[in-house]
Amino acid sequence: MQLSPLALKQIKRFKSIKRGYYSFIAICVLVALTLIAELLINSRALFVSYEGNWYFPTYGSVISGKTFGLNYDYETNYRDLQEVLKKEGKGTVIMPLVPYNPLENDFREGIYPPSAPSSKEKHYLGTDSTGRDVVARLFYGFRIAIFFSLLLLVCNYTIGVSVGSAMGFLGGRFDMIMQRIIEIWSNIPFLYVVIIVASIITPNIFTLMGIMLFFGWMAMTWQMRTTTYKERSREYVMAAKSLGASRRRIIFNHILPNSIFIIVSFIPFSISGGIVALTSLDYLGFGLPAPTPSWGELLRQGTNNLEAGWIVSSVVVFMIIILVMVTFIGEAVREAFDPKKHTTYE
Amino acid sequence: MTAYFVRRVLLIIPTFIGITLLVFTITRFVPGGPVERMLAQMQAMGGEGGSSGGGSSSGSDVGSNALSPDQIKELEAYYGFDKPVFISYVLWLKKVVSLDLGTSTRYSEPVWDTIKERFPVSTFYGISTLILVYLICIPLGIIKAIKHNSIVDNLSSIFVFIGYAIPNYVVGIAVIYLFASYFEFFPMGGFVGDEFEDLSTWEQFKDLLHHAVLPLISYVAGSFAVMTILMKNSMMDNLAADYVRTAMAKGLSFNRAVVRHAMRNSLIPIATSFGNNISVLISGSFLIEFIFNIDGMGLLGYESIVERDYPIVMGILVISSILFMVGNILSDICVAIVDPRVQFK
Repeated sequence: MQLSPLALKQIKRFKSIKRGYYSFIAICVLVALTLIAELLINSRALFVSYEGNWYFPTYGSVISGKTFGLNYDYETNYRDLQEVLKKEGKGTVIMPLVPYNPLENDFREGIYPPSAPSSKEKHYLGTDSTGRDVVARLFYGFRIAIFFSLLLLVCNYTIGVSVGSAMGFLGGRFDMIMQRIIEIWSNIPFLYVVIIVASIITPNIFTLMGIMLFFGWMAMTWQMRTTTYKERSREYVMAAKSLGASRRRIIFNHILPNSIFIIVSFIPFSISGGIVALTSLDYLGFGLPAPTPSWGELLRQGTNNLEAGWIVSSVVVFMIIILVMVTFIGEAVREAFDPKKHTTYE
Repeated sequence: MTAYFVRRVLLIIPTFIGITLLVFTITRFVPGGPVERMLAQMQAMGGEGGSSGGGSSSGSDVGSNALSPDQIKELEAYYGFDKPVFISYVLWLKKVVSLDLGTSTRYSEPVWDTIKERFPVSTFYGISTLILVYLICIPLGIIKAIKHNSIVDNLSSIFVFIGYAIPNYVVGIAVIYLFASYFEFFPMGGFVGDEFEDLSTWEQFKDLLHHAVLPLISYVAGSFAVMTILMKNSMMDNLAADYVRTAMAKGLSFNRAVVRHAMRNSLIPIATSFGNNISVLISGSFLIEFIFNIDGMGLLGYESIVERDYPIVMGILVISSILFMVGNILSDICVAIVDPRVQFK
């Protein structure tokens, strides 16, 4: 794909805004890491060598305890296996950095969860009130939240861009009616309706996305309408029209490329918006069903167990870091597309 | 101009009908409505207590199990659930027009009275937040613009960014953990303390403030960032404008140029949202009220949804949507007042 000189210039400008550029790299790395989260934070071992055979249990089916000479049929507890093999010297086990998965309850004798952070137990941020590792829940929760937001964004923008540019380009009665509909839609208290609906059907990730999409498509539609409306009356559109370009050509080859900056500069804010919406719903208990790791659920646990401060503080700090970084990206993108050169007085 | 505003006011009516019709329909089609909820409660209470619930006074000879179909019908008729959606919507609308919002199914008292009780709490927080936000944002925005890229600017930017990125209830959770649980400077929640009645006026005032500090921090954190950025940006635009340069070229000092010329014009964008402030009456965020256990409008709305108290849900919706739409129009009027160049057609 050949990028236009303008786009190259904008990318260069974006890179020159250090705060935003580094946040962008950091977020990309984090998202990439969530894709291999099973290799970093998991109760299954990365690698087991036992009696000359090599095993890679991370992906793939359950390996029963009997395989490694243990006295049970269900899935091997690799943390215990590591100790056993070390003692007997029959093989080695390499565990991930955090050897817990987000769903397992780590109950130990004489310890009542939540337990405080300890690097000896490898619960680096402690456990929550049912003994699940906080790091694991935070990280897997982040994975769900970010991909939820991304998917929601794609759906929202598809609707927004197509309906919005149709409204701006066609105008007339269609525009009038859609304007009224959007006005009504955006006046409905979103959280109210989500709560009403979510308290009846226990939502899964797709129904939840459906509900959010149902109430979230207006913002982008409105933006695109305004942009198309403005672009339509510019000279280049008129020129294209007088040269005999078809409607389709005008929209797709002329107007859309020129309004792409609106879409791009809204992306970071939509992502943080999606994360926040999902977290709020989870916090109130109307979000994803129970054992799913999520920030909102951790926040809820944290506020219910304020004496176990490590839960609240780790979620809040992690949330601040991620959301502020996303905001930095958003601000940098906006500045790259629309540089405002201010005069400052000494 | 007058014609424009008259048209805007008239447009409130169809929009209002659209909003309320939509929510009304949703409340009708979801299962677990007030009647079913009441039946479930009666079953839970068992045969003895069954007759005390709700509108059925015909005794409980049916036994511990649910009411007879006739009685259920009676109940449904009592709450207006027996008619088709559209007819009962029209009936509801007729009552609303005559300023009757109906009766709460949970408290069995008029919706208006229930809502009215919560006004003082929400208005207190609404107005204090409003004043604090304007008091902080306007000066801070101006200082940040004048001292662009200085230490003051960059340091305050940290708070602005955090406030912008984080939803206000998370700020609430953070401060409640830090200042109420860990350091115990402030109470964990509530609007006033338990022994509020017994205190002298001065101590009552102190108690109220003591309880209000943390919620106010979270309310202000939610809205000061946007306002400060807006103020700073418009101030910087104006400082760079030719007319300020002209004023200074003609010998005006920098301070006077800022105060007399740039500042007045920079306030215009702030005015665009000024009219929406009439929503402070019911502006309680239910997440913040939920966290701090403040008995305001937000919490009332949340509880009435969870408890399926639809008359209250609809009542709050009526008030908030009208205030919101009137607020939008007021905002436009404010813009027209502060900036004579603006023409609405």
